[in-house]
Order: sequence, then C-alpha cells, then structure tokens
Amino acid sequence: MNFQEILEKIKSKHEVLESKEDMGVLNAYIAPANIAKVAAFLKDEMQFDQLNFITAVDLPANNVLEVVYRFFSYATADTVVLRVKLDRAKASVGTISGVFRTADWHERETSEMFGVTFLNHPDPNRLILPDGIVAPLLKDYKNQDMTPLPKA
Amino acid sequence: MGLMNGLDEKLVKKIPGAPVVLASAEWAINAGRSNSIWTLTFGLRCCAMEMMATGAAKYDWARFGFEVPAASPRRADLMIVAGTITTKMAPLVKRLYEQMAEPKYVIAMGACAISGGPFVYDSYSVIKGADKVIPVDIYIPGCPPRPEALLDGMIKLQKKIMKQKFTTVAK
Repeated sequence: MNFQEILEKIKSKHEVLESKEDMGVLNAYIAPANIAKVAAFLKDEMQFDQLNFITAVDLPANNVLEVVYRFFSYATADTVVLRVKLDRAKASVGTISGVFRTADWHERETSEMFGVTFLNHPDPNRLILPDGIVAPLLKDYKNQDMTPLPKA
Repeated sequence: MGLMNGLDEKLVKKIPGAPVVLASAEWAINAGRSNSIWTLTFGLRCCAMEMMATGAAKYDWARFGFEVPAASPRRADLMIVAGTITTKMAPLVKRLYEQMAEPKYVIAMGACAISGGPFVYDSYSVIKGADKVIPVDIYIPGCPPRPEALLDGMIKLQKKIMKQKFTTVAK
C-alpha cells in the first residue's frame, strides 16, 4: 500500500486532522483522545503488528509537544506514523500499552525525557533516568551542572 | 624479571660472591607493588574496548606487570576509568573505589574521564571528569586512546609508585 491508500483506509474509520508525506511514509495527525482506538484499528484491521517506537518532538515556538508513534507491518512491509499534538504546559495523552505491550517502556521513556503524562499507564515510574533529572530533552531544560555551548 | 626493571645501582647493592642483594625496604616494596598491579575489570564505555585490547594478546599488559584483571574491587590495585561517567553511574564508581584496598590508584582514560569530553557542553547527565568523583593519578588523553597510550600511562603510574614514601602510602 502507498501512503495515500493507508490514509484513505484510516480516514474511512477514524478522523485524521491533517496528514503529510515524509520520505514516502504517511504522517497522520489525530486527536489525542483517539490514539488508543486508532492504534487498535491499525493492529487489528490493517496488520500493523509492530510498534517501532514512541518519542516526542518539542516545538516551543508553537507551544506544542508532539508525541510520535511509528508502526510497522511485517505482513505488508508498510510503515505509518501517528502524531498527536499536545499542550506543552500540561502534556498528557492516553496510554496505548493495552494495545501494544511494548508501548509500556516506550511511554515511560517518553514520559521521563519529555514530561508527557500517559494516562492510565500500568506502571508510571521512571525507566532509566535517576531522580532529579526531569524532562531533559525539552528545549528549555536548565540544570545547574550544565555548561552551555559557547556561541561561535 | 619485572622487579629488575627499576634497578638502580645507588639503591641496590650486590654482595660480591654471594647470591644476595641489599636494597632499601622502601625500594623493594615499591618495586613489588609497581610490578604486580591488578587492574579492576571495569569498563564504562567505548574506551573499555581499547582497554580490553591492551589486556589481550597483541599488546598484553601482563608484560609490564599488570598481571591479572581482578574481578572484584577488593582484590584490585588499579581502577582504569575507561569511559563516560554519568550522574547515575557516579555513585557506583565511588563505591567501587571505596571498596578497593589501599594502596589504590586511578587512571582516567580518554576524553570523557578527563573532562567530560564530547559531552562537556549542554549535557544533562554526564559528570565532567572522573576527578569530580574520585582522586585520579594519571590522565590519558585520546578518544579513545590507543593501547600504546594506555600502556604509556600505566608505565608512568609504575614510575610514580616507585617514588612514593611509606609515610605517603598509609593514609
């Protein structure tokens, strides 16, 4: 399937807010409330049987934190990326660990790195970072031990 | 054989006609210590690859008296900090150092262990040098240093041990 067919198939069942093609891969923006439903739809009806990763993109200029989900299908060798836009100040989205078990750790990592809250997560603890480092991958992260890069 | 490496005519006297040498106890003990340094098997990151290469057959630090890689800090004399120390790892590095028996020595190997190296700017998790956590005897620059550089640093450490006084060993 090309990205247009994947988009049409998702659109037939679920609302897609906007979409773009990035290097041949469909990037579909969906509403945060729908993420678990769309993930279950991809898994059950479109054979996207693997969740590659979950991460986030910090866009402070737009006051947006995007959570990015990338799915892969071993059956059809297709890839699709779902994105949800969240408010930077209080970023929270429902967990999809009920659909893909591997999302458990991916969401814990995204949570500690970007400060995103995953609602109804089964184990909402830190994954790797020690205590005292909170959301270090946000663009405005400051730490007293950090040496800023000198301006060239 | 290694004991004779640091042989100094002023410090060691052969008794003519007898299988006996006379030497100061300080020289003899320092020579023993510097030529039987056991290294803590402890790699933090990519510098550990070069450290392993130095210990393996091609470079073979056993030639210089670094005989055994000690599997426990309680048997080790030398800790080679081979890699980046993160905020999370720093307490464990300190604990391993504290578990080693005196006299103990530390080599900071590579740019990360000296200063934080490539992670010195804008890093939220990297400690800027092993000497922020534990005292360091020898610094070896490089990213990572070649085995020759590590051997050079280890031989410099042996020379340092040969110069130490008893009063400075017991802390």
